[in-house]
Amino acid sequence: MEFTIRKADLVRELSLSQGVVEKKTTIPILSNVLLEAEHDQLVLTSTDLELGIRCACPAEVKRPGSGTLPARRLLDYVRLLPEADIHFKFQENQWASLVCGRSRTRIAGMSRESFPELPAMPPAVAQIPAGVLTSLIQRTIFAISLEESRFTLNGALLQVRPDRIVMVATDGHRLSLSEKPMDLASVPAPFRGLVPKKAMNELVKLCETLEPEAPVDFSADENHMFFQAGDRLLISRKLTGSFPDYERVLPVEHPHSVILEREEFRSSIDRVAQFSDERSHAIRLQFMPGELRIWASLSDTGESEENLAVVYDGPKVEAGFNAQYLADFLRVVSEEKVYFGFRDSASAGELRPAGEDLDYSYRYVVMPMRI
Amino acid sequence: MPTIFHLDMDAFFVSVEQLFDPSLKGKAVVVGGRPEERGVVAAASYEARKFGVHSAMPLRTAAQLCPHAIFLEGHPERYREVSAQVYEILKEFSPKVEIASIDEAYLDMTGTERLHGPPLKAAHALHETIKRRTGLNCSIGVAASRLVAKVASDLAKPNGVLWVLPGAEARFLAPLEVRRIPGVGRATEQVLLRLGVRRVGDLARLDESLLERKLGKWGLALAGKARGLDAGGWYDAEIGSAEEPKSISHEHTFGKDTDEAEVLEATLARLTQMVARRLREHALYARTVTLKLRYADFCTITRSRTLEHGTRVDAVLLAEVRSLFKRNWNGKRVRLVGVSVSSLAPAPGQLGLLDEDQRRRWEQALAAVDRLRDKFGESSVSLAASLGSAFRERAHENPAGLPGKRGRRKPD
Repeated sequence: MEFTIRKADLVRELSLSQGVVEKKTTIPILSNVLLEAEHDQLVLTSTDLELGIRCACPAEVKRPGSGTLPARRLLDYVRLLPEADIHFKFQENQWASLVCGRSRTRIAGMSRESFPELPAMPPAVAQIPAGVLTSLIQRTIFAISLEESRFTLNGALLQVRPDRIVMVATDGHRLSLSEKPMDLASVPAPFRGLVPKKAMNELVKLCETLEPEAPVDFSADENHMFFQAGDRLLISRKLTGSFPDYERVLPVEHPHSVILEREEFRSSIDRVAQFSDERSHAIRLQFMPGELRIWASLSDTGESEENLAVVYDGPKVEAGFNAQYLADFLRVVSEEKVYFGFRDSASAGELRPAGEDLDYSYRYVVMPMRI
Repeated sequence: MPTIFHLDMDAFFVSVEQLFDPSLKGKAVVVGGRPEERGVVAAASYEARKFGVHSAMPLRTAAQLCPHAIFLEGHPERYREVSAQVYEILKEFSPKVEIASIDEAYLDMTGTERLHGPPLKAAHALHETIKRRTGLNCSIGVAASRLVAKVASDLAKPNGVLWVLPGAEARFLAPLEVRRIPGVGRATEQVLLRLGVRRVGDLARLDESLLERKLGKWGLALAGKARGLDAGGWYDAEIGSAEEPKSISHEHTFGKDTDEAEVLEATLARLTQMVARRLREHALYARTVTLKLRYADFCTITRSRTLEHGTRVDAVLLAEVRSLFKRNWNGKRVRLVGVSVSSLAPAPGQLGLLDEDQRRRWEQALAAVDRLRDKFGESSVSLAASLGSAFRERAHENPAGLPGKRGRRKPD
């Protein structure tokens, strides 16, 4: 195989595969990126067996062929080259020589024979704008559980329905549900699958290289989900197991609620949380007529309190919350006002963006703490 | 000036055995297990002590020193029962009672003069009441601090009362060996001996800063103790304020090393139940679970896991213990297994969204189980997984459910 490629093109595409390539893998070939040159194009593929990404960019192909090179080392080196064309030539022994201006390098590769085969993408069932995917992911990804033992919570549930697309994640303490109404009448059958967290991170990276309106083709087979945008294809294995019946835990109604200024609420929580327990992040909220009191205290360190004026004339309700959980939501919401619904110190509270004409729905349910 | 009593039952386990079997009276008796068994002496009668037998000594050693002694396995449930009886009596004498272990307690008698008379009279009354209502001997130390009261009860043994007058503490302690101070073990003793300190009086004369350099904070506390002050940690706490435990654990040494997975798992299930029960007694929730395995060659490992939620539910703890065991047991023969919990807190912390109902139901069910156990005994209700482990509870295995230690069981 022999080809010439622009440095900028190669760096851009290689960067996309870095998140997929495993840094510490027991299978050496998975640290490598598969390079395939054909028809004036270089196709780059990387995978960790759970997640795979395939991208392509124009190249001047002198001799078609394929080979693999260590992804990390290749990118680290190529980044340091001047903005110019790089010439690649692969030897029989799997070594590749790179020539760029006055720089000459030889890198040891591995045979492509042992590189895993990625599944082929079935015909697309839906087109989802890149911006929609990004928002759905950003509103839910932080609620994914980091507990490896709760493997069905290590990803988000993606649902593609004829009238909307839904993403929901929970770690068992809080639940984030994001919905975007869309005309997806072409969807042959409603889709439901668990997207691993790593795939969501890579999908956001991929979508951020696109215009928000740019369509991303979506399809799935029994074990995989496919997202394709132009020459880039992201393939993720579905997480197995069944996601909890989240609709059961969504509060039907809240006897009490307030509307809060997002920024004011967020910065109050951030300040008070400086005096919360480092591990539990426990703070207390007390709703009183006309006032929301937020406070935390650490016996050996100090205490902090904030009072926000709110429209509220219900009974006094006090509950403990993990400050981090509340802040996670307030960081991703862009509306200026948020709704906070609650019942008592032992029942789930709910945060939502507040506004008349939102073109999406977003519910964030958080269980309180018993301190 | 506070008035503190330290009450220590004389050769408690042995005395209880003698109560139930009077033929044992006046004989060398050792409680803990059969002489050929593995394990340690939990208690020895004064007759056996004459031969050098003392508690925590291996049973086999005891058998060599005193071959004619009568070895008993012991009856933990009887000890608990009598201990509870004693506790009831103590409560009649003072509202501030702190159980230190199954056979000793502290009483804060400050301000009870009008009710019970001067300290010595009150101590005699208590001594006689215990004897009359339980049939057992005890020794009582009376002083202005816990420390001196404890040392005094030790010197009063057997069956005596000793009052150290306020102001006389230093003179009382001075001729005693430093080992008499609770907390001074072999290590501290060695350090002190190198400084030429053998008696408490030598210790009191030592420069505090030297002690601090040699022993750190503990050295400073020691300097105070040498003068009879309740210096440091638990000794500073008010009686009855019952400091929260930092961890709760139970261990079991097998009579014969075993590599049978079912036996090991069933034993772990039983130990876990005992730990969970004590958590509930203390009204605490645990976040860290630790498994301990000691193999036949004495190689010992401990492995821990920290949970997302605090819990005191047997099944939740057991699931963690099991998975720790499955991942860490190397399949070889095991001599001892242990389960302990730590990161204890009085509240569960973060509540769960998906399993809150289940958690609440478990807690209610277990509260009912605990009531049954209180009434009918520890083995009346068991997790099915532990049924294969009908090991007898050994006298020295820190019996669960000490009366008075269950400070504030609050409904959840």
